[in-house]
Amino acid sequence: MSAEEEENAAELKIPDEFLKAKCLMNCEVSLILEHKYEQLQQMADDPMNQMSQVFEKSLQYVKRFSRYKNPDAVRQVREILSRYQLAEFELCVLGNLCPETVEEAIAMVPSIKVHSLSRLQLFMFLRGKGNEPPDFITRGRAHDDEAIEKMLNDLSLIKKFE
Amino acid sequence: MFFHMVLERNMQLHPRHFGRDLRDKLVTKLMKDVEGTCSGHHGFVVAITGIDNVGKGLIRDGTGFVTFPVKYQCVVFRPFKGEILEAVVTMVNKMGFFAEAGPVQVFVSNHLIPDDMEFQAGDIPNYTTYDGSVKIQKESEVRLKIIGTRVDATEIFCIGTIKDDFLGVISDPGANS
Repeated sequence: MSAEEEENAAELKIPDEFLKAKCLMNCEVSLILEHKYEQLQQMADDPMNQMSQVFEKSLQYVKRFSRYKNPDAVRQVREILSRYQLAEFELCVLGNLCPETVEEAIAMVPSIKVHSLSRLQLFMFLRGKGNEPPDFITRGRAHDDEAIEKMLNDLSLIKKFE
Repeated sequence: MFFHMVLERNMQLHPRHFGRDLRDKLVTKLMKDVEGTCSGHHGFVVAITGIDNVGKGLIRDGTGFVTFPVKYQCVVFRPFKGEILEAVVTMVNKMGFFAEAGPVQVFVSNHLIPDDMEFQAGDIPNYTTYDGSVKIQKESEVRLKIIGTRVDATEIFCIGTIKDDFLGVISDPGANS
């Protein structure tokens, strides 16, 4: 069986090389490609010639599907999502699709439902609004959803203040 | 999904390029050769963002060309089976619709479009629900799930579905289930 047949992003079954690589959200790619486009424009030659179709299509795509335009907001999104011990791939799918409910988040990234205890602990800690000592010890798995909800609320706040 | 990766490539250079601008010439050639290409494993190389390292050149027997191993950083786009992403509809017909997500084309067959949507032929072919509340046509933005990928020499082609929960036309507020 070839590796491609086993591949399934919903279960985070993607080649190791990609699991370990830096995944980029559309808004981050937008900043990178815009910058490159500006560099190309500054060079003497006609920039349109230098751009491959792949580059052009990708640039149009990420500009259209970026949820956050402001570089500071983009940084904040990455920072907030990074606190939740998600895989890079999961983080980026969430940052790209911005689900509004826990149910939607789990449908978009089914693999986040598979928690290890340490991730659950981290979720519960953050649920306590940051610096209070965690009281997760007596809580059960049922609170995963609340943790995901907090994460989604934090994300939507960035959008409001962007 | 977009990734930032370090890839390596052996670049061949003719001795006439040797001189002060050797490295620049190598980098230019690298960009020209690699940017915009597609491989089955890494996906599309969208843009090269930097050069990590240029190794020592090795003269090739018999030709005089020199091979330099170059490590470079780049942004790639690689779609995965099971991945959910947003795309723009480019064409609609009775077999289904085509959509584009960056450099990748995705086909969604009518079998994988919700049963309550029907194809409407005409000037602007579209799929519409019975009550007319949801419409998919050219330029519509949809959220779809990739269920298969096919690689050929120069591109990756995908098939997708919008039949699952939270997939379909992206509208405000929320998405279809």
